[in-house]
Amino acid sequence: MKRWIYGVLGIGVLVGAGFLIQRALSDSLVYFILPSEYASSGGEYDDRRIRLGGIVAPGTVAFDDQALQLAFEVTDSLMTYPVRHTGTPPELFQENTGVVVEGRFENGVFVSDNLLVKHSEVYEPPADGEPIDIEALKDTLQ
Amino acid sequence: MSDVGLGPLGNAALYLALAFALWGVLSGVLGSIRKDARLLTSARFAGIATFLAMTAAIAVMEIALLTDDFSVSYVANTSRAASPLWVKIVTLWAALEGSLLLWGWLLSGYWALLSVVAPNTPLRSWALTTMAVVQTFFILVPAVLAPPFETMSPIPLDGPGPNPLLQNHWMMAVHPFLMYLGFVGLTVPFAYAISALISGRPGSEWMLQTRRWTLIGWGFLTAAIISGGWWSYEVLGWGGYWAWDPVENVSFLPWLTATAFIHSVQVQERRHMLKGWNLLLIILTFSLTLLGTFLTRSGVVSSVHAFGDGPVGPAFLAFFLIVMAGSLALVAWRWDAIRDRADLDHPVSREGSFLAGNVLFLAIAFAVLLGTLFPLIVEAVSGDKVTVGAPFFDQATLPLWMIVLLLMGIGPLLPWRRANTQTLSSNLMWMTGAAVAATAVAFALGMREIYPLLTIGLSGWNLASLALLLLGAVVPRMRVGTRSVVQVIANYAFENRRRFGSMIVHFGVIVMALGIMASSAYRIDEQVRIDVGATAPFEDLTFTVKDTFMESTEHRISAGALVDVHRNGNLLTTLRPRINTFFGQSMNVPTPDVLYLPAYDVYLNVAAGITPDSEFVVLRVVRSPLVSWVWIAGFIMAFGTVYALTPTRRAARSTQRTPRGSATA
Repeated sequence: MKRWIYGVLGIGVLVGAGFLIQRALSDSLVYFILPSEYASSGGEYDDRRIRLGGIVAPGTVAFDDQALQLAFEVTDSLMTYPVRHTGTPPELFQENTGVVVEGRFENGVFVSDNLLVKHSEVYEPPADGEPIDIEALKDTLQ
Repeated sequence: MSDVGLGPLGNAALYLALAFALWGVLSGVLGSIRKDARLLTSARFAGIATFLAMTAAIAVMEIALLTDDFSVSYVANTSRAASPLWVKIVTLWAALEGSLLLWGWLLSGYWALLSVVAPNTPLRSWALTTMAVVQTFFILVPAVLAPPFETMSPIPLDGPGPNPLLQNHWMMAVHPFLMYLGFVGLTVPFAYAISALISGRPGSEWMLQTRRWTLIGWGFLTAAIISGGWWSYEVLGWGGYWAWDPVENVSFLPWLTATAFIHSVQVQERRHMLKGWNLLLIILTFSLTLLGTFLTRSGVVSSVHAFGDGPVGPAFLAFFLIVMAGSLALVAWRWDAIRDRADLDHPVSREGSFLAGNVLFLAIAFAVLLGTLFPLIVEAVSGDKVTVGAPFFDQATLPLWMIVLLLMGIGPLLPWRRANTQTLSSNLMWMTGAAVAATAVAFALGMREIYPLLTIGLSGWNLASLALLLLGAVVPRMRVGTRSVVQVIANYAFENRRRFGSMIVHFGVIVMALGIMASSAYRIDEQVRIDVGATAPFEDLTFTVKDTFMESTEHRISAGALVDVHRNGNLLTTLRPRINTFFGQSMNVPTPDVLYLPAYDVYLNVAAGITPDSEFVVLRVVRSPLVSWVWIAGFIMAFGTVYALTPTRRAARSTQRTPRGSATA
C-alpha cells in the first residue's frame, strides 16, 4: 500500500537527475564554428568555450620555443582571427592545413588549450570571384 | 601450398558455421514447440558444431596472419610481414572484420559450453535457441557484410600492418578480448530471460540458473573497461584514462545496467520482487551492447577512436531494434505473470537500498547515453555542430556517484524486509564518525574541493561499513567456539564466498573512487622545455635530459629522450619517452613512459619531434596522484569476482543434489 511513496520517491530522483543533466548540458555544450560564423554571431559565443575550425593562414605561424607559445591565424577565407596556443605545434601542423582549436575568444584573440590537426583535409583556395564552400569545409573539419 | 587458398578455406568454415547456427535455430524452434527430445539434442550438437566450425575459421585466419598469406583480404589490409609474432597473433582483432570474427567465435564458445553444461531444465531449449539466433547474426555480419576471407587479386607483397596505436602496446592484446567475453557472457542471462518469457515461466528460475554467467560477464566487462582505460593511459599520450569519448561511453552503458542487474536479482532471489524489472534490465543490457556497436561502427558519432563507417553499423542498428521490439513484445505478452504481487515492507531495508541503487545506476546510464547522443540530436534539430565535453559527464554523474557510494555503505548492513532501528542507528553512528574523521583529516591536509572531500568522507564511511559487516559476521562466531579471530575470519570468508567476494569488490570500488578522485582533481599537466644535458625542476622532482636517442627495429623507428628523474637528490629512474614510427604507416605515435609510484605517477611524453641533432626536447609532464590505485582497484574487483565465483565444497555438493544450487550469503 506504500507503493505510492516509492513512486513519488522514484519520480523525485528522476526529476533531480533530470535537473542535474539539464544544467550540466547547457553549461558544457561546445559549439563548433568557423571564423566567419563567429564574426556574424554578434557575440553569442564570446563567453563560452568553443571549437573553432579553419585553415592555418600562410605566413602567420610563429613558435616561441623558449616560452612554448604558438601563434598563428586561422581562416575560412571569409574571416581571419589570430590564435594563441600554449604548447608545441603538433605533428603535421603546417600552413594551409585544416585545424580545430578549442578554447575561447579573449579581446578578439582566440586562446586555445587544445589544437587538433585535421590532416586528411587538403585545402585549395578558391579562384578569384569563386565562393568558397563553407559547408564542405566545415564537414571536413568536424 | 595446396590448390585451395586459405581465403576460400576460411570462407568455407564460416559458411559451415552459419549453416550449423541456422540448424541450431531451426531444430531449436521446432524441437521446443513440439517438445521433441531428438530435435533438441540435435540443436545442442548444432551449438558444438558451430563452435568447431568457428574455431576452424579463427585457426585459418591465424595461420594466414602468421604465414603472411596476403591473398587473404584481412591479412592484406591489416597485417605486415615484418611485425613481431605477438602483433601478428593479436592482429586478428585489430580491425573490424577480425573483431567481428572473434566476437562470433567467443559467442559460439559460450553457446557450445552452455549446450554441454546447462542443466536440463524447462528453460534450456529456448535459451539455447536464443543463443542460436544471436549466433546467426554474429556469423552473418562477418560472412556477408564485413568478409575477412576475400581473395586478393593481384596478391600484394606486403600489407600496412595494424593501426599503430594498437600495435604500440601489449594491453591491446587483452582489452578487446575481455570486452567481447563480457558482452558474450551477458548474452547468456539474456537468452535465459527470453526463454523464460517464451516458455511462460517468468519467475526466478532463469535468473538463478544464470547467476554465475551474469557474474562472469560482469567481471569480464569490468576488467575490459579498466584495461581499456589503462591502455589509453599508456598509449594516447595525454596522461588520462577516461575522456568520456563515445567509444568509452558505449562500453560503460551495459556495465551500468549489468551492475544494476546483479544487485536487483538478489532482491528477486530473496523477496520475489522486481521480476519485470530484472527482465527489462537484462534485455536493456544486451541491447545496449548492440546499440554501442552500432554507434561506434557506423560513424554517426565522431570519436577519437574513429572506426569509420560501413554496412556493419546499420546491421547492428537493425538487430538492436529487432531485439528491443521482440523482447518488449514478449514482456508485454507475459505482463500478467511478471507483475509483482509482493511489496516493499519498508524502504529502510536491503531491498529498499538495492532498489534506490538501481534507480541511480539507470540515471547515470541515462545521462551518459544522453551526453553521447546529444550532438546527434542537436545537429538534427538545429544543424549546429556541437560536442558535449567531459564537464557535462562529470557534473551530471558525480552527484549520483556520491549517492551510490553512500548507499554502498548502508545497503549491505541493512537486513532484508525491515531494519532494526537500534542496530541501524549504532551502525550509522560508527560510519558517520569514520566519514567525519576522514574528511577532517583531508581538510587538515589542505583539501578544499567539495567532491574530493566527499569522496574521502564516503571512503571512510564505506570502510567502516565493511568493518562492521565483518564484525557482525565474526563476533557471533567467536562466541560459540574457541577459535582465534584469524581462523574465524578465514572460515567465514571460505564458507560465504559470494558475500565475502562482494565485500572484496566493494573494497575495490572504494580504492577506485579514491584513485579516480585524486588523479583527476589533483593532476598536474604541463609542457616543459629542457635543453639536452640540462636539468629542470618540476614540483618536488627534477628532470635531467641525458641524451636523445634513435633506434630502429625490424618494424619501427623510435626517436626519444633519456630523462633521469630525481627526487631529493636520489635517482628514481630513467624514463625513455619516444615517438614510434611504424613501417607501412604514416602516423607517428608518441609513446609515453611512466614511472609508477604509490603516491603518484610521473608520466613523460615527447611533445615535439626529436631528431639526432635536437638541442632541446619538449616534454609533456603529467603527475597524477594515486592513479596506480585505479589499476590496483581493477585487480581487486576482478579478484573479488573470481572469489565469489569459486564454489565452496558445500555449495558444490548441494548443487549436485538440487539443480537450483544453494542460496548462501
